[in-house]
Amino acid sequence: MRAELHLARRYLIGLGRRTNVATVTLISLVGLGLGVVALVVTLALLEGFQSSIRRDLVERSTHAQIRPASGRVLGEPDQLASLLHEGLPDVEIVRSVRGNCLVASTVDAVPALVVGRSDVESVMADRVLAARLGIGAAGAVDVISSRRRLTPLGPVPVRARVDIAEVGAAEPGQEGGVLTVPLEVAQRIIWGSPEVEALDLKDLSAPWKLGATVRKILAGRDDIVILGLDDLNRPLLLALALERILIFVAVGLILVVAALNLLCNVAMVAAEKRRDLAVLTSLGLEPVRVRRLFLLLGLGIGAAGAFGGAVVGVATAWILDATGALPLPRGVFVVSSVPFSVDPMMVAKVVGLALFLSALASWLPSRVVARREPAEGLRYE
Amino acid sequence: MSDSGIMVRLHGISKTYGEGEAQVQVLKGLDLEVRRGEMLAIVGPSGVGKSTLLHLVGLLDRADEGIVEIDGQDTGNLSSSERARLRNSLLGFVFQHHHLLDELDARDNVALPMRIGGKSATLARRRAEGLLDTVGLSQRMTHYPDQLSGGEQQRTAVARALVMRPGLLLADEPTGNLDRTASETVFRLIRNLHAEENLTSVIVTHNEKMAGQCDRIFKLAPADQSSGYVDVS
Repeated sequence: MRAELHLARRYLIGLGRRTNVATVTLISLVGLGLGVVALVVTLALLEGFQSSIRRDLVERSTHAQIRPASGRVLGEPDQLASLLHEGLPDVEIVRSVRGNCLVASTVDAVPALVVGRSDVESVMADRVLAARLGIGAAGAVDVISSRRRLTPLGPVPVRARVDIAEVGAAEPGQEGGVLTVPLEVAQRIIWGSPEVEALDLKDLSAPWKLGATVRKILAGRDDIVILGLDDLNRPLLLALALERILIFVAVGLILVVAALNLLCNVAMVAAEKRRDLAVLTSLGLEPVRVRRLFLLLGLGIGAAGAFGGAVVGVATAWILDATGALPLPRGVFVVSSVPFSVDPMMVAKVVGLALFLSALASWLPSRVVARREPAEGLRYE
Repeated sequence: MSDSGIMVRLHGISKTYGEGEAQVQVLKGLDLEVRRGEMLAIVGPSGVGKSTLLHLVGLLDRADEGIVEIDGQDTGNLSSSERARLRNSLLGFVFQHHHLLDELDARDNVALPMRIGGKSATLARRRAEGLLDTVGLSQRMTHYPDQLSGGEQQRTAVARALVMRPGLLLADEPTGNLDRTASETVFRLIRNLHAEENLTSVIVTHNEKMAGQCDRIFKLAPADQSSGYVDVS
């Protein structure tokens, strides 16, 4: 192995003396490097946006939810809450009900999700709903439930008028409009009685693990269902993961093209070094070591491109994020500039992919070279 | 090494190049033995198969028919890797063109077979320096091939051929590209090292004077001529 490493190193250093091969090698190296830069920066951009979405999700969403296994009403919510308080004293527990209602302003009436929460004292409409209804803080809306009450005129939908105290940001993934009201108001509109549909739990210290922790505490209860942050936001998280995979594959194609260029480069070196290879074989270099020598050559070029590209890519992402060089319109996004976040594991995967493709690109010419009888190369000369 | 007095034994060797109408038979039913310690010159007109013969002895090519025994070992069934290892440990080559690697200086070129053989870089360099000194190139160790004259390049190639202390030296027109003075220097060097290192040498040459200084001359004629192969002792 040491002899092959020695030769590969000398060949790579000596490339500069042969203009044509050196130029092609430089193009291969720059191609791979640019591919890695593109992949690292794109994935850092994606990770930046996805991180901000996940941060937002953690800030605003419920981290775990306890629901009845069947039906809509949760039995013994107070007993469950006290059990959880014992096991998780720092976790915030909120009783909640939810129902789809018609919400009407003086301008329009739209269906929306009405959420009643025990930690809420005033009514808040999210931006989506506020925009649809043309209302703002200090406005008032009518909430019309699908529940009916009997009147002398016959059954009519239950209706309540609430004053909007605040217009807040929409929860990630919620596009239909949400009206958050005090629990008692929601219970009156949706149920007509003090029912609780779910316990919403929040633990900012370990939001992603809260579901599993609650499952441990309430193990053996088959009358309830416990949903973690992942379960509650599965469609959104799946969409984010899918987006990441598709971008990785799409931008990764640049690396494939660069690797094909490397294949041509290694094949060109193999053709140019035909005589040298015959001489090396005549000196006793076995075919498997000839193949290894060419793999090392390709990997040497690939490693220089991959690591160089990774350094440039990480630096670019870091500078763009630190300086906020790409501003975003205020009010549209939750962040003021395009966020970049470099995940070391992601960089390692990109470098690994580049090295793998380099090895693959070198493997084919190396096989061809290793099969040649040494006399062929000497006769050719 | 085998105790047998025969270092190289070829029996019934045939070799053909090309296919169909372009087929050319270069060697046909050739028999040859080279005794241990002998210096054999192979002569003959161009295209008669001298280099092919040397390549077959050097395990750089495979015969279509016949037996090639080196140091008592039948090489017919050896794998490519086994043949490569045998070349590294037992054979030394000097080609008509020096065939030094452009990327390595003279010392690293000479040390290369030892590095391929798995010896340490330090040991290989020390042996290479000793040999370069022997061939009169102690002042050229860090020179690259393109910084050496033709004679110096070929002397470096001779040093490289001997760095593994081979039993068999194979030289394919080693002075073919050199002027008269350089040719004489290189041949004298090969002859001296042949004696000093206890070598068996097979030298392909067009130079009759040089062939005449060898222990034995083996004359090759075209395969289709009835005269065949003549041992001129």
